[in-house]
Amino acid sequence: MDWMNDNVNALGLLGAAAIIILTVGVSWKYIQQMKTDKSTGELTKDNWDGIGEYKNPLPIGWALSFIGTIIWGLWYFLAGYPLNSYSQIGEYNEEVQSYNVKFESKFKNPDKATLMGMGEGVFLVQCAPCHGVTGDGMNGKAANLVKWGNEEAIVASIVHGVKGSNYPLGEMPAGLLDEKSAKAVAAFMAQEISALKKTKNPALVEEGRALWATCSACHGEDGKGMEGQAANLSEYGSAKFVANVLNMGKKGDIGNMPKFNDGRLTNVQKIAVGTYVSSLAK
Amino acid sequence: MFHWLERNPFFFAVGVFLVVAYAGVVTILPDFMESARPVTGTKPYTVLELAGRQIYIKDSCNACHSQLVRPFKSETDRYGKYSLSGEYAYDRPFLWGSRRAGPDLMRVGNYRTTDWHEYHMLDPKSVVPGSIMPAYKHMFQNVADIDTAYAEAYTVKTVFSVPYDQPDMPTLGTYDEAKKQVMAEASAIVADMKSPEIKEAFQRGEIKEIVALIAYLNRLK
Repeated sequence: MDWMNDNVNALGLLGAAAIIILTVGVSWKYIQQMKTDKSTGELTKDNWDGIGEYKNPLPIGWALSFIGTIIWGLWYFLAGYPLNSYSQIGEYNEEVQSYNVKFESKFKNPDKATLMGMGEGVFLVQCAPCHGVTGDGMNGKAANLVKWGNEEAIVASIVHGVKGSNYPLGEMPAGLLDEKSAKAVAAFMAQEISALKKTKNPALVEEGRALWATCSACHGEDGKGMEGQAANLSEYGSAKFVANVLNMGKKGDIGNMPKFNDGRLTNVQKIAVGTYVSSLAK
Repeated sequence: MFHWLERNPFFFAVGVFLVVAYAGVVTILPDFMESARPVTGTKPYTVLELAGRQIYIKDSCNACHSQLVRPFKSETDRYGKYSLSGEYAYDRPFLWGSRRAGPDLMRVGNYRTTDWHEYHMLDPKSVVPGSIMPAYKHMFQNVADIDTAYAEAYTVKTVFSVPYDQPDMPTLGTYDEAKKQVMAEASAIVADMKSPEIKEAFQRGEIKEIVALIAYLNRLK
């Protein structure tokens, strides 16, 4: 009898019992009345194929609610709903505004767990169709985000080139450095420039620093992309870098990534996606 | 007091109609002329897009996909801006659809790309694991009917004064000019596609249905 502990079940059962008792009682009363009752009263002049109608007064409660409904109906038609500058779009705007106010106060300073949860939700709806549910790019259908945001990915970018997000300085050509030098630059960039702030090959950092001139021509001495001329590498590996890609879109070797700047995602959601995507990178 | 109305079925019907139509009249009529005009920036479909649109209709995409984003936050979050009636000014017929077995496609061009559509039409489950959409492999075999699409564009231009060949609007021109433009548009799509068969067919001058359909889907914004 576990299910009786549930309030809704108990109430439902009580209601069912009440309905049965009332039905039986009322039916009983009328069945008894039918045995002795005779029809009396004055008939109206209308007669439909032998079926007549008595001139009974309206029950007072019914009549009052009928008149009340008519008055309410007039108010509703003429002043209440449609003519009082109601619009569907207006209601939508109010809905969005109240939601945004709530969203902003609730997620003013989101912690990492909140961002991860939000990011995963957005990722599964907006990103997974191309990058896959696990972010692996589904056998090369889109960028493999699991392999993004580490030194190997930096090396791959330098060796194969990057088509990029349509920055003023254009695409990054393939083969700027050979693999060995690229590895050194990647170690330097990972530790000194990017948001990763650490490298697997600390021994190569100094060698990479010497070769950084190849990169600084476009990305700047500090790697910040010379104020929007090229990608800001100081954000590489962080949520901001991903948020930036969402804003700018990307034309890659694999395919096009559309921009997500049409208002579907808020800034907090973009950072959340970035946090989630950064966490995918191994 | 309305006893006489019960004896006059005609006036009774008129009365019922007026009461029922009231809500529609006050919400639709006031700015009907205004909202039915094309929204600024709305353009007629090019011939290739029209060919894709005819395939969309032929294969009943509209049976499962709507093209109408309602003004609810839950919808605009997923699909983008809500739809306005003026955006359908050049849709003949409109393809609002009446059910969503699949997602809305009103603005699919904003968030899906040529190569994604190619994978998806060939094998929907390869990109959307839980998808119930059937594969549309025949679109990779059949050749798009550009002639009929041109005929449609020419007809709506002549009969309904759809503004082709006007400043900032798509050009239609003669059949040969239109055909040339179709090839140019299709080549941009084919370049983004992976299938070597589609590319080979295009070299022979054949535009497969999938190319026209992708042109149409990319245009939905």
